[in-house]
Amino acid sequence: MTVEATAETAAEAVVVEPPAGAGPGDLLPTAAGRRAARVVGRYARERPGLAVTALVVSVASAAAGLIAPAVLGRLVDAVSGGGSIGGYLLALAGAAVLAAVLTGLSAVAISRLGETVLARLREAVVARVLHLRTATLDRVRSGDLLSRVGDDVARVSESVTTGLPEVIGASLAVLLTMLGLGVLDWRLAVAGLLALPAYVLALRWYLPRSAPVYARERIAVAERADGLLGAVDGADTIRAYARSGPHAAEVERRSAAARDVGIGVFRLYTDFGWRMNRSEYIGLAAVLGVGFVLARTGSASVGEVTTAALLFHRLFGPLGTLLFSFDEVQAAGAALVRLVGVVDLPDPETPPQRPAPGTRPGVELRGIGHRYGDGYPVLSDVDLRIAPGERVALVGASGAGKTTLAAVLAGALEPAGGEVLVDGVPAAALPGRGLRDVVALVSQEVHVFAGTLADDVRLARSAATDDEVAAALERVGARWVQALPEGTATRVGEGGTALTPAQAQQLALARLVLADPPVAVLDEATAEAGSSGARDLEEAAFAATAGRTTLVVAHRLTQAVRADRVVVLDAGRVVEEGTHAELVAAGGRYAALWAAWQGRDR
Amino acid sequence: MLRRALRRHPRRLAASVLLLSLHQTCEALVPVAIGLTIDRAVATGEVPALVVCLLGTGLLFVVLSQAYRFGARAVVAAWWEETHLLRVELTERVLDPRGLADPPATGELLSTATSDADRVGRVIEAASLVVAGTTAVVVAAVSLLLVHVPLGLAVLVGAPLLVAAIQLLAPLLTRRTATQQEDVARTAGMATDLVRGVRALRGIGAEDAATERYRRTSRTALASTLHAARAVGVYRGVTTLGSGLFLTGVAGFAGALAFDGELSIGDLVTVVGLAQFLAEPIGLLGFAGQKYAEAKASAARIAEVLGRPLLTSRGGGGSPAGEGRLELRDVTARSLAGVSLTAAPGEFVGVVAPDPRDAEALVTVLAGRLPAAEVGGAVLVDGADVSGLDPAATRRAVLVEPHAVVLFEGTLRTAVDPDGAAPDDRFLAAVRAAGADDVLTGHPDGERRAVGDGGRTLSGGQRQRIALARALLADPPVLVLHDPTTAVDAVTEEAIAAGIARLRAGRTTVLVTSSPALLGRCGRVLLLDGGRVAAEGTHAELSAADAYRTAVLR
Repeated sequence: MTVEATAETAAEAVVVEPPAGAGPGDLLPTAAGRRAARVVGRYARERPGLAVTALVVSVASAAAGLIAPAVLGRLVDAVSGGGSIGGYLLALAGAAVLAAVLTGLSAVAISRLGETVLARLREAVVARVLHLRTATLDRVRSGDLLSRVGDDVARVSESVTTGLPEVIGASLAVLLTMLGLGVLDWRLAVAGLLALPAYVLALRWYLPRSAPVYARERIAVAERADGLLGAVDGADTIRAYARSGPHAAEVERRSAAARDVGIGVFRLYTDFGWRMNRSEYIGLAAVLGVGFVLARTGSASVGEVTTAALLFHRLFGPLGTLLFSFDEVQAAGAALVRLVGVVDLPDPETPPQRPAPGTRPGVELRGIGHRYGDGYPVLSDVDLRIAPGERVALVGASGAGKTTLAAVLAGALEPAGGEVLVDGVPAAALPGRGLRDVVALVSQEVHVFAGTLADDVRLARSAATDDEVAAALERVGARWVQALPEGTATRVGEGGTALTPAQAQQLALARLVLADPPVAVLDEATAEAGSSGARDLEEAAFAATAGRTTLVVAHRLTQAVRADRVVVLDAGRVVEEGTHAELVAAGGRYAALWAAWQGRDR
Repeated sequence: MLRRALRRHPRRLAASVLLLSLHQTCEALVPVAIGLTIDRAVATGEVPALVVCLLGTGLLFVVLSQAYRFGARAVVAAWWEETHLLRVELTERVLDPRGLADPPATGELLSTATSDADRVGRVIEAASLVVAGTTAVVVAAVSLLLVHVPLGLAVLVGAPLLVAAIQLLAPLLTRRTATQQEDVARTAGMATDLVRGVRALRGIGAEDAATERYRRTSRTALASTLHAARAVGVYRGVTTLGSGLFLTGVAGFAGALAFDGELSIGDLVTVVGLAQFLAEPIGLLGFAGQKYAEAKASAARIAEVLGRPLLTSRGGGGSPAGEGRLELRDVTARSLAGVSLTAAPGEFVGVVAPDPRDAEALVTVLAGRLPAAEVGGAVLVDGADVSGLDPAATRRAVLVEPHAVVLFEGTLRTAVDPDGAAPDDRFLAAVRAAGADDVLTGHPDGERRAVGDGGRTLSGGQRQRIALARALLADPPVLVLHDPTTAVDAVTEEAIAAGIARLRAGRTTVLVTSSPALLGRCGRVLLLDGGRVAAEGTHAELSAADAYRTAVLR
């Protein structure tokens, strides 16, 4: 109910625009509450044994909790009637032991179920995010991505770990207590139920107000995460510009905004709280009033009225727990629909079908045209053929469309016009993941994955042996690995040994060697290295792509000189094409570039 | 740190302790009210008594609910405020102008600044609950004393003993939750790390391998979470057992008294009701104990980050005063084995380092990113040793644009001019000198073009040129550029070299590069070899030497 109510306002499976001023980029979709409940239910049913155990033990534990008040009522009647109370005391003690064992067991059972489902869910979310299409990645704010896999998962798991057992226990206690009240005397139960309309009123006041503020809270928290991320990632630059103050102030502003929204959310919640107390009073007064009449007319004993009043009073605890966890549950619900929204993203990808190792296909780009959004055309009618095993260098000024063309060939970007063919087969007709199974792309977006260096390289092929990893590193000339304290077992990436950009790029090339794709696209693969490291990287890139059908986006003309063929791109069009020598002899644009390059060599 | 969290919010803490105690007191009085109603009205059948009892109970509920309403608000406000303050503190530490010797990993800091800060903030809630719960126990005990003194005493002694016994389990809980929190944090860290590298993963089709790797870590975390859940189960079971047996004891005692006629039926109801109610504040105390244990583990992690050493302990100090003279005297650091160089005010100095480690070490020293203990010799700005200067002031005098470009979220204009202080003509001049005009003109939004977090919306070459424009616009007395044109094509590079020379004319500029286009513009070029200055001269002069030629000319 909670979860569904939260999601009534949430958009269904669409990428929603963030509110004005939230910065560039879109947000990933949020699922409807019903849908989230179904997905969670499906995960729970995957472990039927766990689910049934959790249910049975929880019901039993709630029922055991009812024994004590029932016995106490009898005890009151026994005292008034002058009977013995020893048996009742034994029953009380027995009930305590039973309730204790069952409470403990139900807490464990519910955690087992909840945590297992949660683990499945977070794995599904990460899997889905890692399989997002590049076009989607470009559009979505990275803060949103990170808060889904980070903050939202944390929020849900927090409530699964501490909230879930309590909420389930409390709900069952409420249900069974009302049942017990009915068994005692149906008129007293009806009196207790008089509280119900008041509860419903309170909920109807609260729910429509809470959904939007919870959504606002999520957004404020995501912006806070963005701010923190920017500050931490850019700490060196921020210090270099002596701008610690303004940046800390910006983080503080966002954190304060999240704080204010959070406090506002809780205000609303406490306004709901006293309405709940009002309902409790109405129920209690009704039970006492009806009990009064029943006792006066002699149709109920004082002991029965006592039991009823004590039972109803006992409800306050679990009702309070429900109330107390309500905002946590709702916040977790808001996070949950964001997680399910990611899990539910359409996944067009089929399992990969990689060509046999050693395959060296020819590729052809035919009539490729592209523009971003409504912008000017980035590529216009580009035709390019790369023979099997041929190395082609792409040369052109900044903004000529080199990166876009590389992305098209790598299958990372769907061009607006034209098609890519592999050995004459159009990309759309390729098996598995299409172009992406055939072409690997190493871009300047280097990332060193946290973990050991060997694990990092092994991402390209999990089954690779230590020798294969070492060979891949050797191939790209990463001799510095041997100098590391623990060789390939050294921890790198976040929290590990820091690598230089050139080393990180070499690692990326080692991954390429291990992945062994038929076609390789290197996009400015040496750009992030210092100019001194660039030559080593150039060698590494040359070695990593030897024999492969390769497209190199060349910034250094030395890369062009060593290529089999050079293609010059200008303003999205191919303007020259040929071997280095041919183009120099032709005296065109490339020849001018070469002259400028050579000119330094005076 | 937990104590400080409590001390920082005296008014809110006082209000919440007061109001929540009042709330708990009222809660404790509810069974008393029920007992009175049974005794005076239900048992007697008198209508006026019923009316009085119900009105009184109604009043009790009003106080109870309003006390909670405002008390809980005070707690949560203090909790959010504390969390916010911790976040600000962590941010300030990470961004401290003096620099961190061992900065925390991004994912780690993110988790510390959110989850851990949140848990530490909760200590305020825990403290309020402890006081309120204790108050409830006391009120219940006093009510019991008024009914029957020995009975009241028994509860007064029994209840704290019970809580103490339950608390014996707390260390087990703390230990297991700490392991669990660590494993869960590792899982979260891995998720963040993989998502940040998602483009690299997709480039080589490694998304399946990464997914599998995450799944394994997630399973490990699940196992340790379930291990902790067993401890929680035991804890909850023991709490239930304790309060149940306690209730049995009180009911037996009171029942025997009522049997002997020492207590009325109403008193019996009150006593049993109170004993039953006592489970709640005792449970609260247990809950507070659990939160406190979590807060302690989190506080230790925050304290660890806040306690990481700064690169220099020196704050304050003077500011460099002069026209921008940079001097290195026999500097040793990492691969540098005694580098001495001087850049006179207004001079253009090129530094060529065939070994990239030398270049990196030099730039790191100039940027003040190494602990003072790891730097030998002296770095002087305008004749003053930087170790005696205010770090922020030094940064304003010597700007080192990092080679790994980071642009801040905003527009192109704010990326180049973070202060927003530069007039249009200076802004455009800087952009033009950095060869970045096309980044502006090639987009319909022009200078208002959005720069995503990390500058992701721009290509590598564009980012590099925008960062260069930012450095040029900052116009510091000394500008150090490290390989500013590696992602730029040959033609653009030539234009940029001219632009830098134009804008930095008369200003001290150090170019650590091997680009002949840039070195050709330098009045003096130093060649580093083996961590020392091996040769010095103009680009043309040095070009005669083989070592220099192989380093620079390709």
